[in-house]
Amino acid sequence: MIRIEGLTILFDTFKIIDLNIQIEEEGFHFLLGPTGSGKTLILESIMGLRKPEMGRIWIGDREVQDLPPERRGVSYVPQDLALFPHLKVKENILYGIKARELDMKIYEEYVYALVEVMKIDPLLERYPANLSGGEKKRVALLRALAPKPKLLLLDEPLSGLDPSIKVDIQHLLKNLHSSFHPTTLCVTHDFEEAYFLGDGMTIFMDGKVEQVGKRDDIFLRPKSKKVAQFLGAKNLYRAKFLKNEGSSQRWILGVNGLQFSIPTSLVQEKVEVEKEVDLFIRPEEVMIIREAKPVKDSLKRNIFEGEILDITDKGKYHWVYFQTKEGQIPFEISIPNYAFRNLNLSIGKSVKIALREESLWVMT
Amino acid sequence: MSFRYTMIGAAVCIFIFYFGLILSLFYFVGGKGFWEALSHPNTLFSIRLSLIAATLATLLAVLIGLPSAYALSRFEFVGKGILDTFLEIPLIVSPIALGASFLVFFNTPLGELIQTKGVFFVFEVPGIILAQFATIAGLATRLMKASLDEISPRYEAVARSLGSSPWQAFYRVTLPLSFRGLLASVILSWAKAFGEFGATVTLAGAMPGKTETMPIAIFTALASADIDKAIVLILILVGFGLLTLYGVRLTGKKYRYD
Repeated sequence: MIRIEGLTILFDTFKIIDLNIQIEEEGFHFLLGPTGSGKTLILESIMGLRKPEMGRIWIGDREVQDLPPERRGVSYVPQDLALFPHLKVKENILYGIKARELDMKIYEEYVYALVEVMKIDPLLERYPANLSGGEKKRVALLRALAPKPKLLLLDEPLSGLDPSIKVDIQHLLKNLHSSFHPTTLCVTHDFEEAYFLGDGMTIFMDGKVEQVGKRDDIFLRPKSKKVAQFLGAKNLYRAKFLKNEGSSQRWILGVNGLQFSIPTSLVQEKVEVEKEVDLFIRPEEVMIIREAKPVKDSLKRNIFEGEILDITDKGKYHWVYFQTKEGQIPFEISIPNYAFRNLNLSIGKSVKIALREESLWVMT
Repeated sequence: MSFRYTMIGAAVCIFIFYFGLILSLFYFVGGKGFWEALSHPNTLFSIRLSLIAATLATLLAVLIGLPSAYALSRFEFVGKGILDTFLEIPLIVSPIALGASFLVFFNTPLGELIQTKGVFFVFEVPGIILAQFATIAGLATRLMKASLDEISPRYEAVARSLGSSPWQAFYRVTLPLSFRGLLASVILSWAKAFGEFGATVTLAGAMPGKTETMPIAIFTALASADIDKAIVLILILVGFGLLTLYGVRLTGKKYRYD
């Protein structure tokens, strides 16, 4: 278990105050924040390259905040990788084992397994200058993993890669993690990256932790409008609590004259009538109803009529811009291609949409 | 005239200017005093003295300059800006003023103590080394700092995380990566020390067979109208200069991993 408590860093214009992160043994934790939020400063403090103003760091049962970097057992893959250009791939990979004076015999099998998984065998005698972008990433990852670190730090591991290679590396990271289980803290501004790879997440904005949680919790239930917007959320509305239907255990919310119904169990804080909140639903959770098909019970309470304004083909899915007839509330809807073909949609067409109650989310 | 030819023309002019200057020396080569001057013991002494003094001065400059350059390149500390500015002092102050300052210093109580209890500098060989060191230490530090600046501190960060101490990270990673640049800095500093005149002559004097380095020997040869000797020495000096430039060029050659 990795524990970071009360980390406070004041540097230049950066103010990071009282940051707490916990990472389970063998976990893949993401620190997500916008570019320029000081994420690299945090990594440098965990590594020991920067002395934070305050804070304690435990790696396993060792408290390490006063140890120099070489004694923390933390491997680091920087954004620019920093492969040693004067050393061959093989020498790069073995650098950590040699520097720590570890017994090569014990590590040989493990390192070779990594070489196999990462398909680095044919590259071993090359210099980094003769590697492609994806190959460089792989070598940098292997170099970091070779001495079996107690914590692996990744700084924007998928940035600057061609889309196809990005997918490869993403799968490789997942594969590596499920085969070798390094405890990993990954810093990124890209939620999709984090969504694909991570199990735990810390959302970090303006020097503060905004939300900590499991991936899906954050994805579907952001704590604040700020977090929702950072995660690229569409369909955010200012809503007002209208009434509590005690009999059906539901709250009715009003947006521009339209009424939304959500289970009281989903509203976590105490609210009262007239209170204004942010209402949110992910574009993937909005359904377009097919005519002549029965509607499920969970969808019946939030059905709205309107018109399709625009459709964009995004390759893997279609993006539909919809506006309700009453109240003119815009919705963005993401539809998988197979579903899109069945729906027979066109611009200007009048359709009905349905929102699953459990997918509606209220932020106070 | 086109833009391109104007610019290139200017560059060619500079070349002709310097090349013509060197070429003109050969007008006097081969006079009867020429070979005599070349093999004269004092000439050979000057060459040897210059080589030894410049090399020692450069070694000293690297010894103190490399750590300083590293500190300036990598660390933030109080007074860094002032320190950095002071490195330029020998570049802007006339060498003769630098040498004269040393003469003044060695007449202060501390200076006298150093000379009586330690090493004698004024009008002695150590004075040559000291004068040359003073002229090049700032320059060497500056040049080495520039080559260290080119190496991203990220390499060291990774080396540290992989288990290297700061010393190990320096000699296993930063040093080999900046080696070419450092070597070029050393060669240039050496060349500057080798040709140093003002500070050296002021502090160490111009005694043939004792403190007469090559630039000083050229000066004394001219003063006594010994043109042959002056030309021999100038040609040798130019020869060494070209060799060092060639050396710097070689360090600029790309390594196989680039």
